[in-house]
Amino acid sequence: MSTFIQIILRSLETGSIYALAALGIIIIYRTSYTTNFAQGVVAMFNTFVVTFLFNKFGLPLWLAVIGGILSAILTGFLIDVLILRHTKNVSPVAKQIITLGLIMIVLGLAPIFFGVDPLRLPRLIESGDLGILGASISYNGLFNIALGLAIMTGMFYILQRTKWGLAIRTTASNEYVARLMGVPTKNVTMAAWGVAGVLGVIAGVMTAPMTSVTLNLMDEVQITALVACVLGGFQTFHGPVIGAYIMGIVRNLLLFYVSSVWGGQILYILILIFIVFRPYGLIGKKIVKKV
Amino acid sequence: MKAKKNIFQKHPAIGFILFGLLLALIPTLAEMGILKNGYVTTIGGTLIYAIAALGLNILLGWSGLISLGTAGFMGLAAYMSAYLTVDLNLPFEVSFFLAVLIPTLIGILVGLVSLKIEGLYLAIATLAVAEVLRKTFEELGKYTGGFSGKSADYPTLFGLFELDRTTTFYFIIFVLVIIMILTSNMMNGRLGRALNAMRGSEAAAQAMGVNLLTHRLIAFALATIFASVAGVLYVHFVKFSYPSTWSLAMSLNFLAIIIIGGLRSIYGTVLGAFIVYAVPDMFLKQIPFFEDLSYVLNGVLIILVIIFYPNGLISIGYDIRKLFRKLTKGGAKNE
Repeated sequence: MSTFIQIILRSLETGSIYALAALGIIIIYRTSYTTNFAQGVVAMFNTFVVTFLFNKFGLPLWLAVIGGILSAILTGFLIDVLILRHTKNVSPVAKQIITLGLIMIVLGLAPIFFGVDPLRLPRLIESGDLGILGASISYNGLFNIALGLAIMTGMFYILQRTKWGLAIRTTASNEYVARLMGVPTKNVTMAAWGVAGVLGVIAGVMTAPMTSVTLNLMDEVQITALVACVLGGFQTFHGPVIGAYIMGIVRNLLLFYVSSVWGGQILYILILIFIVFRPYGLIGKKIVKKV
Repeated sequence: MKAKKNIFQKHPAIGFILFGLLLALIPTLAEMGILKNGYVTTIGGTLIYAIAALGLNILLGWSGLISLGTAGFMGLAAYMSAYLTVDLNLPFEVSFFLAVLIPTLIGILVGLVSLKIEGLYLAIATLAVAEVLRKTFEELGKYTGGFSGKSADYPTLFGLFELDRTTTFYFIIFVLVIIMILTSNMMNGRLGRALNAMRGSEAAAQAMGVNLLTHRLIAFALATIFASVAGVLYVHFVKFSYPSTWSLAMSLNFLAIIIIGGLRSIYGTVLGAFIVYAVPDMFLKQIPFFEDLSYVLNGVLIILVIIFYPNGLISIGYDIRKLFRKLTKGGAKNE
């Protein structure tokens, strides 16, 4: 039983990383109508900024994280203003390919700025474990779970209860009508890219202490988050978040109880089979296409 | 306007064969010292990538279905052919056939999935498939050599002709020309028109009697066949295969090839392959700063081409000619 609780606690920690990344992807999908494949590499880039500020400039970690958040907002804005804003007449698949092109640009630029050596980023809370029912979790892990839930709650509060959230939701449901109603859709989209960048860098800073900061830092998180979006359905904001937590938990259960080597692949295949039977995900609704 | 077609438009195969003969001069030029000897390997690799990219072009260009799994299927075929020829000592032809057949069956399964999920989801689903395949290459060390990679030899045709680097290069050209002719014939015929209709509007295509199921499966099968052929050629030309080769980065390169070169263009695909693979290797490496930037340049090119020049760089010649004609005509009117 204590192993089971241990696994669930660890899964909640990784699940909140996946959920933050998935939320970033879905916010961009809903406002810019493209699945942002570059979310992961942009997060990787900004995590490198944090690591660089911390290691090379000797800033305290919290200040370095704030620096990373600022650079994430900046990169998000830049991507929207320089590229995505000019793609009004481009087909959805071509837009996807643009974000794939972005991956190549960021992957090419990162080594020039930060070198090729893997760097280390410590945890936000260095040490300390908490025992729960025979299972133990580090304070940092607890902090990550709490921070993830807090950010998620905050985001959903903003989306559902504030004027800005209303602007985002109207833009998401119909951009043209939203513009007619006086919603500044350009600013909404730009803000969405900024918010997605911030969510990405937070996920990156949470991931970094588990491995080292390299070009591949966010690859697994990115793929899991994308699949989580498919699992949860792209039609709602909360679907992908739920999908991300489910994936975090099921992956660790499979890795522990079924196969430590093949657990990840089994999960992907199960989800592929799942979407054959429920193409719009757990929560999604079928969109009726008109000819 | 002259409606008369020249011989290349009437019989595209002649053009492809001439193109192949032209490429076949490269090893001779390298022996004469006009080209660097290493270029043969570079260009051979480029042509292999062009084969896989042609398959992706059928999928993305003609049918409008995106796939990020090309590298995964190519890798699967490469590992299978290496295992079958080296460990099981099967003849090259048999292993070629098996190494193309099995990935293709998996590709058709993906095609079945694609019927259920919409355009944007498909990229993610194929990405997940490629990820599963790549992990498999890493973990099935018994067959794939794990992280240390798997090696293979130059192919032996019909058990008689042991090929070396130059003759394998000719063999690659031979396969490329055949695949170009096949693609041209299929895409200019009924199949191509059906795929085009499907890309434009699925409902309209169905109304015209195009069976979505069969045509999607055909598109996926063709793409996987071409990718597998490229994978087999790769492992027998480069002679090595590592799990890290068959990553998302390579699938992205294939996308770059067909977007930059030109969607629905056969020569465009080859041009794109040269821009993405050969140009960085042959020219950019001479310039010190640009060496690191080739990946960035490809990314920038993708974005610029999509936004400003959706037909791809292959249509530059046509557009310049049109512009020139317009200018001279305009001049004539003014006089």
